Amino acid sequence: MADEVNYVLEAFKFMLLGMGIVFLFLFILVKVVELQAKLIAKYFPEDTSKTPATPAGKIADDEQRKVAAIIAAVTEFRNNKS
Amino acid sequence: MKLKQIIISILFAIFALTSVSQASSTEVPVVVEETSERKAYEPKSIGELATSFWETTGLKAIFDVNDGEMTSEPKGPAYEREMNWFESSLGRIIMIVIVFILFYLAIAKNFEPLLLIPIAFGGLLANIPLAGMGGEDGMLGIIYNMGIANEFFPLLIFMGVGAMTDFGPLLANPKTAILGGAAQFGIFGALVGAVIIGFDLQDASAISIIGGADGPTSIFIANRLAPDMLGAIAVAAYSYMALVPVIQPPIMRALTTKEERVIVMKTTRKVHRLEKLIFPIVVLMLALLILPESAPLIGAFAFGNFAKESGVVDRLSDTMQNSLINVVTIFLGLGVGSKLAADKFLVVETMGIMAIGLIAFSVGTASGVIMAKIMNKYSDEPINPLIGAAGVSAVPMSARVVSKVGSEEKPGNVLLMHAMGPNVAGVIGSAVAAGVLLSIFK
Repeated sequence: MADEVNYVLEAFKFMLLGMGIVFLFLFILVKVVELQAKLIAKYFPEDTSKTPATPAGKIADDEQRKVAAIIAAVTEFRNNKS
Repeated sequence: MKLKQIIISILFAIFALTSVSQASSTEVPVVVEETSERKAYEPKSIGELATSFWETTGLKAIFDVNDGEMTSEPKGPAYEREMNWFESSLGRIIMIVIVFILFYLAIAKNFEPLLLIPIAFGGLLANIPLAGMGGEDGMLGIIYNMGIANEFFPLLIFMGVGAMTDFGPLLANPKTAILGGAAQFGIFGALVGAVIIGFDLQDASAISIIGGADGPTSIFIANRLAPDMLGAIAVAAYSYMALVPVIQPPIMRALTTKEERVIVMKTTRKVHRLEKLIFPIVVLMLALLILPESAPLIGAFAFGNFAKESGVVDRLSDTMQNSLINVVTIFLGLGVGSKLAADKFLVVETMGIMAIGLIAFSVGTASGVIMAKIMNKYSDEPINPLIGAAGVSAVPMSARVVSKVGSEEKPGNVLLMHAMGPNVAGVIGSAVAAGVLLSIFK
């Protein structure tokens, strides 16, 4: 019996360590990602403004058309259903 | 240039020759044995022929068990043992019924058919009497040895999942990554539970990974920590992944109020391409510094994602997320299915594993939701607590489930993108948790 209690305690220790590491890992990850976002926004801002100028602009246009088509299809479907 | 080619071809030729000679030198004695065993044919009466045929039928093997049929083991005949009556008759029938139930769930209910169909069919094949499909030379045994016994297939799957994953939602709202961490309480809660019901620490750790709802990781860990229980663990992990749409919504509804469920979240910001490109490298660097034990999983995942985000190797990333992952899914499914043989699956431990797996999965969902509630209280931006449920790493099922529940509560409230953040963080989280467990038993 004493042995079993011991194992359960061990399992709780695993939990403490494991969750600690998981949160630590993700916490550092969040911080690094936030920092990275700031740095990139600071040093490569023209990249975002440049890309939409030609190809991404077209993509956005396409995207909008797709969205319009999907909405049209969905309304059509709903109307038919009712 | 030409000289280089010639040298290379010579090297190849030498290599080929040496390998052929090695192969033939090992094969020769086997051939000799086989020829010496061949008996001269003796004339038999039609009655004798019929009896000897009856001996080889499955009907006899199932309904008239008297001789010791051996189990089939992918590790080879040395690990085989004699089957008992239950395993070779009733057990097989039970397993075939279970397989048909899995078929039904996959086809009629559309529960993860991509996984359940190969697994269940593998299970059907593994329960064919006398054929030895799961043995060293059987089809399933060969598949098993090829990529499951050495943990290779799960890594390939991880590569494909990496190539399919878009970290954009996570990068747009990094805080939600913490939800993917909270859901890992399922893993460690299940660890405690498994120890309480009597599994030893190592087996319990292997079982508890089911709480991450991550099939490849479960197989990876089970192989390292408790290879005997691999079949039951893999089947439990994949069945709970398939049951995400059934298990999660009631837990989500029970833990949240109506007001919380209708919270509309702010649209996510646009993410810079460079952020996405650097992200897999950042994750890998963190893994390298903090937890090298998780390197195989996170490394494969990061590679797949990096290939996708680099934007210059579309052919490779396309292969990883389509052809490669499909091929591996077929093999992984059949290989895992081989563990559905009655003699391996119908053991007492399986019941415990299925029960613990369910608890693990529910606790993971619940702790993700609770964490999201807490974050919603203390954060300036509203967070819909439902997205916490996506912290389990069943990508993208649980994010879809969250989105479905969200739009049921308030039509037009699309949570999918917000739920993808915790969902992909959950994959990283359970890979980290797996790494911690591996490091303990190193």
